Amino acid sequence: MGGKVTCTLGEVKNRADFIVYWGGNPAECHPRHFTKYTIMQKSRFLPRGRKDRTMVLVDIRETKSVKAADIFLQIRPGKDFELITILRALIKDQPVSDAAIEQTGLQRDAVEDFVRRMKAARFGVIFFGMGLSMTRGKHMNSAALLTLAAEMNAVTKFVAMPMRGHGNVTGADVIMRWQTGYPFGISYNRGYPRYNPGEFSTVDVLVRGDTDCAFIIGADPGATMPRPAIEHLRRIPTIVLDPHVTHTSRLARVHITTAPAGIAAPGTAYRMDEIPLPLRPAIDSPYPTDHQVVQRIHQAILAKPDWRARTAQQERQLDATN
Amino acid sequence: MLRIKGGRVYDPEAGIDGQVRDICIRDGKIVESVEGAAELDASGMIVFPGGVDVHTHVAGGSINFARAMSPEDHRRAQAFIRTQVTRSGLGGYAPTTFATGYLYAAMGWTTVNEAAVPVLSARHTHEELHDIPVLDKSLLVLMANNEIFIDLIEAGEYERARDVVAWYIWAAKAYGIKAVNPGGVAAWKWGHDAKALSAPVPGYNKVTPGDIIQTLARIADELRLPHPIHLHCNNLGAPGNVATTLETMQRLEGHRAHLAHLQYHAYGGDGWDSMCSAATQVAEYFNANPHMTTDAGAVLFGDTVTITADGPWQHLLYKLTGRKWGNLDVENETGCGIVPYTYKPSNLVNAVQWAVGLELLLLIDDPWRVFLTTDHPNGACFWRYPEILQLLMSAPFRQACMEKLPAKIKQRIVLPELDREYTLLEIATITSAGPARALGLPHKGGLAVGKDADIVIYNPQDDIAHMFGHPRYVLKGGQIVVDDGEIRSTPAGREIICQPQFSPDIEQFLRPKFEDCYTMSFENYPVEMERVAEPLIHPCPSPTDT
Repeated sequence: MGGKVTCTLGEVKNRADFIVYWGGNPAECHPRHFTKYTIMQKSRFLPRGRKDRTMVLVDIRETKSVKAADIFLQIRPGKDFELITILRALIKDQPVSDAAIEQTGLQRDAVEDFVRRMKAARFGVIFFGMGLSMTRGKHMNSAALLTLAAEMNAVTKFVAMPMRGHGNVTGADVIMRWQTGYPFGISYNRGYPRYNPGEFSTVDVLVRGDTDCAFIIGADPGATMPRPAIEHLRRIPTIVLDPHVTHTSRLARVHITTAPAGIAAPGTAYRMDEIPLPLRPAIDSPYPTDHQVVQRIHQAILAKPDWRARTAQQERQLDATN
Repeated sequence: MLRIKGGRVYDPEAGIDGQVRDICIRDGKIVESVEGAAELDASGMIVFPGGVDVHTHVAGGSINFARAMSPEDHRRAQAFIRTQVTRSGLGGYAPTTFATGYLYAAMGWTTVNEAAVPVLSARHTHEELHDIPVLDKSLLVLMANNEIFIDLIEAGEYERARDVVAWYIWAAKAYGIKAVNPGGVAAWKWGHDAKALSAPVPGYNKVTPGDIIQTLARIADELRLPHPIHLHCNNLGAPGNVATTLETMQRLEGHRAHLAHLQYHAYGGDGWDSMCSAATQVAEYFNANPHMTTDAGAVLFGDTVTITADGPWQHLLYKLTGRKWGNLDVENETGCGIVPYTYKPSNLVNAVQWAVGLELLLLIDDPWRVFLTTDHPNGACFWRYPEILQLLMSAPFRQACMEKLPAKIKQRIVLPELDREYTLLEIATITSAGPARALGLPHKGGLAVGKDADIVIYNPQDDIAHMFGHPRYVLKGGQIVVDDGEIRSTPAGREIICQPQFSPDIEQFLRPKFEDCYTMSFENYPVEMERVAEPLIHPCPSPTDT
């Protein structure tokens, strides 16, 4: 297992005749997804648009997205991994017991129909949301689903994509990867990047009380993180850059209001498929951009004595002058 | 100002083969003489022009995808600890951006060509290139599976196709045209491939991979791009693919062309069990036909990650290896596949690949037409180039390496019969002068007056790999960037961009097509000039008609 078989959203728009949303509620969380990229679009390969596409929704409860779906598979909470494993077996014609299927909350007919449709698709895509990736099983669920999509390519074209959101989180992930090799959960404590989610992720560092300062840009952990993490943020100097006063601002020592990106500040945002989009400000803001604030802080730090490791050459020069 | 005094100079273009010369530098360029300049004593040392990598993958969506897929390699990779001069990073088979700059520079390479960029994510690639210090950089855009372009060939609208290609190059702020598995990646969008040059691409009525290749070669010539079509042929990696490669080369007669990573395209046999080297056939044709250049795409044994726009091939490699598989199809333009891979000397196929890379470098007579690459990171990581130089310069070392291969290998390769040993001047040609000329970079790849002062200075050593891996000094634009293995300064490199000419009307043609097949607005698509760090623009003259 491992890897990701995916595509840009335009490929879905142009080709996907079979679209699965799993553990997500795009109608409310990504309201433009249907119309811009997936079920509603017409293309040269799918000229009748919605009529040429089938949409399946897999979730534990009825959400507003059900209305958009052709097929709704309501599964028992926490049974995603089991259902994915059953699908992986069935696409390879391996036997699966009725009991195994029933514990997912679905009937054999419904599951076998799903498998038939997946195999009959010309281009299938599975979008998965936090209902899959943040519930029991977590990253194992995502890995299983990505493997299902990869294995489907023995039969037909199939891809998968996480439904990411929360502003430009994909952009942060992309940049951290090119600068450090890792997407998040990175420690620079030894002077080079190390990665260990669960140890170096923000929430873990805060809960353990490992950090003596927090610098928070465009996020509101004060609203979402567990109480011990929030209490630590309150204890230490916390600096927040945000266009709005957030829960985190209220517990921070310093809040700096910045211009909102894409509205009053330029930049780049990475879409969920990692395509970079330029941001052009529509209005002026009296506030500085995040970029300007960070640069000024950086300049101020540069003016202080450099505490970083010296190079061997610098050591030699120091030796020579002493 | 600086005078490099008393070194043994190797400048293939000027025909200087180890003669002792002084080299004078002012304002980043090599000049005739300098008065009162600081002196760098290079007596007894070897002076080369800075290395030029004609084909590598160091920045953009695909290598960044590979980074995401390789945490287990990062963990054991060389760590770059931040200092007052350098930023932190990681080496390994998919190095981070800052580390990429340090690793190339520390080996004496000062210019690199990122060989495969979708226009749709070119903005991202430029942002990464900006974070690669020291090196000068260029990038090539993927055109051979662009559906708007293929539709134009199908419709016989050549002139418009040429304008479209020129528009795309400028939109990406790119340097030239890359073609990967022409038609095959477009077919992969439906799970198919294109293996025969003269059969229509799946999904099209008329247009064949051969048509795409010939059209792009003609366009690159007529747009007067400094670098010709940069081609990854169809059927990469497949046993028996020599037939496709030879046919491709024949179809390119009458045009300039650069064939990328030729090692992957020079196999005989009709299956994995019978796969053998066809380097002799390929090299014979190549030697007899001077219109092409190539790079080796050599393989070294060990762990790496394979990255290519060749989506269908990567699906096959995933099925063969059962390892991780990344795939990213890019709307209208191209695809991308990533599979980690380990080349093992005990594996007969891998052993053949290792031999073929070296055979091509040894069998192609003219060092001005075959260049050192590993198709980084596909055949091996770029920071292993010194190992290949040792294999090229020492026949006994090659023989010793061959003894570790399975006995059955002997009937499948010709390497044991080759006793050619590269000279230092030839090494300077395949690592610097040759690729600079092929890329059309007249200010690179030499030590004559007027060239950029990108210079590498070695202490002669018996251990060839060690010598090339550890230059005494490296200068970039006249500035000492490496001093005895240590990064001393990290000037920002430049980005070299090509500006081909096209009819402004082409935007009216493209706009509605864009709305059909892209999900980004037309205005947001081209990379703005101000997003390119330190641009160096090469304006192309008006297109010629052939």
